[in-house]
Amino acid sequence: MDANSIITSLKGKFPDDICDDIMESDIRIGAKVKPENVVEVCRYLKEDLSFGHLCCEFGVDYPDRNEIEVIYVIGSYEHPVVLTMKAILPRDNPEIESVVPVYWNANWYERETYELFGVKYLNHPDLKPLVLPKEMLGEWPLRKDYKGFPNKTARNLV
Amino acid sequence: MDETVEPSEMIVHLGPQHPMMPGPFRLNAKLRGETIVDSEVEMGWIHKGIEKILENKTYLQGITIVDRICYLAAMTNEEAYVGCVEKLAGIEVPERSQYIRVIMEELSRIQSHLLGMGEYASFLGFVSMFMYTIRDREDVMSLIDSVTGARVTHSFLRYGGVKDDLPDGFKDDVKYVFGNLRKAVDQYEELYRTDDIYRARTVGIGVLTADVAKDLGVSGPPLRATGVAFDIRKDEPYLVYDDLDFKVCTQTDGDVYARIQVRLDEMRESMHIIEQCLDQIPSGPLFPEDTPYGKRSPVMRIPAGEVFHRVEDPRGEMGFYMVSDGSDKPYRVKIRGPVYPTLQTLPPLLKGVTVADIVSIAGSMDTCTSEVDR
Repeated sequence: MDANSIITSLKGKFPDDICDDIMESDIRIGAKVKPENVVEVCRYLKEDLSFGHLCCEFGVDYPDRNEIEVIYVIGSYEHPVVLTMKAILPRDNPEIESVVPVYWNANWYERETYELFGVKYLNHPDLKPLVLPKEMLGEWPLRKDYKGFPNKTARNLV
Repeated sequence: MDETVEPSEMIVHLGPQHPMMPGPFRLNAKLRGETIVDSEVEMGWIHKGIEKILENKTYLQGITIVDRICYLAAMTNEEAYVGCVEKLAGIEVPERSQYIRVIMEELSRIQSHLLGMGEYASFLGFVSMFMYTIRDREDVMSLIDSVTGARVTHSFLRYGGVKDDLPDGFKDDVKYVFGNLRKAVDQYEELYRTDDIYRARTVGIGVLTADVAKDLGVSGPPLRATGVAFDIRKDEPYLVYDDLDFKVCTQTDGDVYARIQVRLDEMRESMHIIEQCLDQIPSGPLFPEDTPYGKRSPVMRIPAGEVFHRVEDPRGEMGFYMVSDGSDKPYRVKIRGPVYPTLQTLPPLLKGVTVADIVSIAGSMDTCTSEVDR
């Protein structure tokens, strides 16, 4: 299965949800997805297009556009194509459906995106901080307007 | 994990300091008698915030930082990082540099497997094995040291090339070290194969099937031990791996024994790759000519764009997602480490096993907490 047929198939199945699809190379494709339907799209990718391997899921903060992008990088064990799928959320109240029912290993990625960016995942089995202490919840350190760095580094705490 | 316990159950905390891991993490296991009913992994003791630090460093400074993600795989971390910058800036790496990179990355794979395997044997009370592998690893470390000038955190790769050329007589050193190492690897295999206690603790323990392993997102030796030939060097060749002859080592059992066997086989393949490289390596410049890229590249702006580049780490698939906004620092770097999903699989894998097997199963994943926390 090559990159072209994957895009065609994806757009044919979800004409309203997938937009701005680009083909960067033979093995890299990108697309934007509507946040409401991300779980259905992921399920289709996994079951019909053999995208069975979630490489990672993370956030990128864009304060100028007042948006947070949640990016899913999905690969496959059968073909070499890697899909980069973006869901764009408002910065004030980012909420998106969790993809843990489809990709089991998204669990920790979503917990990390939650604690670092404040993206709230709906229906996540256990949404709590992974690498940060509980007291830091609400500071969202990887957002661009976080003022704690470098004031909260060990050197300044002593 | 549900924290409520019945009268016959109790929760045991393993860690954060526990000899079974190089690095702190905590495993909360709910036990009924000797059997694990449920478990949970807690992370975060050595969270360094490397993704945030990288946003505040120039591209050249970042190379030093990514070394620190995991000291056992410093070379492949650098490869993933500089690979991203090269793709963004469209830099063509000269062939000689590509060969040197392959040699160094495979050497680093060998030393990582040697440590992982030896350490694993010591978890099972097989401490002399650890001494053997550490002894042989020292020779490989000296080889790496002779090229990079550092033992663990090398800062050796640059976008566009490598810092230094191979020293004189490197080929002979490699030949000598590999002569010994080949014998040693055969010896380890023999030891593992014939030791009854070792076999009792590894054969049929912690079995992952191919479908489950794929579902859990595992990569690297734990996945290849289940029979899935998933290797980024073959599936998505970078550098000169396309021109080299090597095979993807797989086993079919998916148990702890198979994972160690895959690592043994991979060391042989790595030695084979390095020997081919030393025979085929062309002469030429280390950096593309008539470009500003060099050992000390000046601070420069990298074209805006987004790129995902992945390489085969000693432990699996290492990927960097880099967003550039056209300035001299990356806008966002996401590090996708191989151990992150592997460590996540411990709770389902540990369900129903006895306490004594925790160390055996968790150790066989060759995890590196530093990389999970970043």
